[in-house]
Amino acid sequence: MFGKRKERGLREAGWGQTLFAGAIGLIYFFPVLWIIMTAFKTRTDALATPPKFIFTPTLDNFVSVFWRVSQQGNEAISTGFGLYFFNSVFVAASGVLLALIIGTLAAYGFSRYPLKGNDTYLFVILTTRMLPPIIVIIPIFLMFRLTGMSGSYYGVILLYAAFNLPFSIWMMKSFFDELSGDVEDAARLDGSSERGVFFRICLPQLKAGLAATAVFALILTWNEFLFALLLTGSDTRTVPVAMARTIGGELGVDWGLLAAIITLFLIPVFGVTYLLQNHLLRGVTFGTIKK
Amino acid sequence: MSHLIIQDLHKSFGDLRALQGVDMVVEKGEFFVLLGPSAAGKTTTLRMVCGIERADQGRVVFDGEDVTGAEVRGRDMAMVFQTFALYPHMTIFDNLAYPLRQSGMAKADVVQRVNEVAEMLRLGHTLARKPGTASGGEQQRVAIGRALVRRPSLLLLDEPLTNLDAKLRFDTRAEFKRLHRELGMTIVYATPDELEALSMGQRIALLRGGRIVQTGTPDELYTKPQDTYVAGMVGSPKVNLIPAIRRGADDAPLVEMPFGAVQNGPWADALKPFPVGSELIFGFRPHDVAPATDTGGDDGDGGGTMRIAAKVHLIEPLGDVVILDLTAGETQLKMVLPEEQAIRYSVGDDVPVNLRVENSFLFARETGTAIC
Ligand SMILES: Nc1ncnc2c1ncn2[C@@H]1O[C@H](COP(=O)(O)OP(=O)(O)OP(=O)(O)O)[C@@H](O)[C@H]1O
Ligand SMILES: [Mg+2]
Repeated sequence: MFGKRKERGLREAGWGQTLFAGAIGLIYFFPVLWIIMTAFKTRTDALATPPKFIFTPTLDNFVSVFWRVSQQGNEAISTGFGLYFFNSVFVAASGVLLALIIGTLAAYGFSRYPLKGNDTYLFVILTTRMLPPIIVIIPIFLMFRLTGMSGSYYGVILLYAAFNLPFSIWMMKSFFDELSGDVEDAARLDGSSERGVFFRICLPQLKAGLAATAVFALILTWNEFLFALLLTGSDTRTVPVAMARTIGGELGVDWGLLAAIITLFLIPVFGVTYLLQNHLLRGVTFGTIKK
Repeated sequence: MSHLIIQDLHKSFGDLRALQGVDMVVEKGEFFVLLGPSAAGKTTTLRMVCGIERADQGRVVFDGEDVTGAEVRGRDMAMVFQTFALYPHMTIFDNLAYPLRQSGMAKADVVQRVNEVAEMLRLGHTLARKPGTASGGEQQRVAIGRALVRRPSLLLLDEPLTNLDAKLRFDTRAEFKRLHRELGMTIVYATPDELEALSMGQRIALLRGGRIVQTGTPDELYTKPQDTYVAGMVGSPKVNLIPAIRRGADDAPLVEMPFGAVQNGPWADALKPFPVGSELIFGFRPHDVAPATDTGGDDGDGGGTMRIAAKVHLIEPLGDVVILDLTAGETQLKMVLPEEQAIRYSVGDDVPVNLRVENSFLFARETGTAIC
């Protein structure tokens, strides 16, 4: 009986199981799919009832993300979305990178050179993320005004770095804790400096952990709306804020346009996650599988 | 000059007192074995020698220099970790090359050295792979190779043979001995295996519960154990330990056991001050017991042997020797015989045996320490 079970476990999934899993997957993916489809629809198709599944695709929505026709009707005026996309990428990437660098260094310290009351420090670090952002936004807004950081790139980048730091520290610390201390001791005995131990021995073992932390932080930052709304200026505006500003106006909500923005906005996250997905899975299951 | 001196080393982990005053002196070029059961503190001692663990108290002197608080890096010593501690993200070649590269050796020399070591340890076919894909035995050899590759003057080995199969263990044991002879390294070798210790060590320190119980040559530990623990730990099959009572006159002590009494052992003088009635333990090696049949009655020459009437209880063949478990009254004892002699006996037979008293031990029962 035991043998049979094992055999079943190893067998490839049958057609029924595959279809079932596919159906569940489709239900989860459907909202995203619907948005992507809407992005290719004309305004009438987008609003049609019953909803249309078969339609003639158009790229008009994507064009109007970047250009709109001038009042005189003979000129294409930039909507600024090119800049907003750049801002989103630049601000998120810098913020995450900064959080990852500082977080990794801090995590190594917490893991390898524990302070008296180490756990208390770690807990305190996490408490900054226990409050809903809406509560801290007002003091931060005032501080930004006071220091003149409002609307600047480095202001938002620093804020995003700070915002991602607790999570990065906790996650990286758990990865460092999993590493064998003997390996580092062996490196020291083999003549490595402390810097060498960190860069040549520890970090290369944590590629998966770094990737996982980066992707999670990136997704959180990429979609962040509230801080961006209040702290960015017209030059540093990110896509979520700009997207919100397209809603309203005399035409109501332009669903096709919104869907096109979202579709474009999804591409970088999809790309990064896809590139890192092997690392990501290993990062998430890190330590649960004995090497 | 003594190569390594350890003085009064203490180490606690929270409430657990892992080392409680370890002293040892290792001479230059010596093959020194740290023998002890699990959790005795072998690994902890080695880690303090190379400086990756800080001592609470005590000193480590290496090459005439106090290195107790010194940096780990730059010590002319290498260690084979019990856990191997290979670099999982590097190929086996890079693992072996790592210590050489750290020392700034030229590329061509690195390649040559690594290949030499790889050939010696039969790792040639694995060099391009990561340690995770190597077998347990291969990983252990990589760990050994990484320690040997830079030819340190002191080599610390923490149970380096446990994961090897019997043949490879035998070969590597010989290899260590050869290296020791040819390269003149000082080796400190930790093991829980008494046979390994006896066959390789020039001197052995027996560690128990964070203390060194006795240090000496294999022969000294075998013939002059300082307490019942050492007697039991060294020698296979295990020593016979029989509860006994001191009897006889003040200046002519007698050791009384359930199956008879003996006197005139090597311990006789030391026993004199003990009051009559003191509780003792009498010990003797299974090798010092022999059937009395052939010698007949000629054991009357003054206490050289003791006659015991025994019965065969169990026979354990071990290839060319056989262990016979005997009973003498209520008491159990073991005897070792060459196979060709042992085949004469079967379970239940009566065997009168002679015990060589000159090689026997005597211990105080309460403390376990030797009386001699
Ligand atoms: N980092 C540590 N934290 C807590 N306790 C420790 C630590 N290192 C060692 N110990 C304890 O110290 C004692 C000695 O350990 P050690 O590793 O030196 O034993 P050992 O002789 O090497 O045993 P084995 O043969 O099993 O490897 C053990 O009781 C162990 O649990
Ligand atoms: Mg150990």
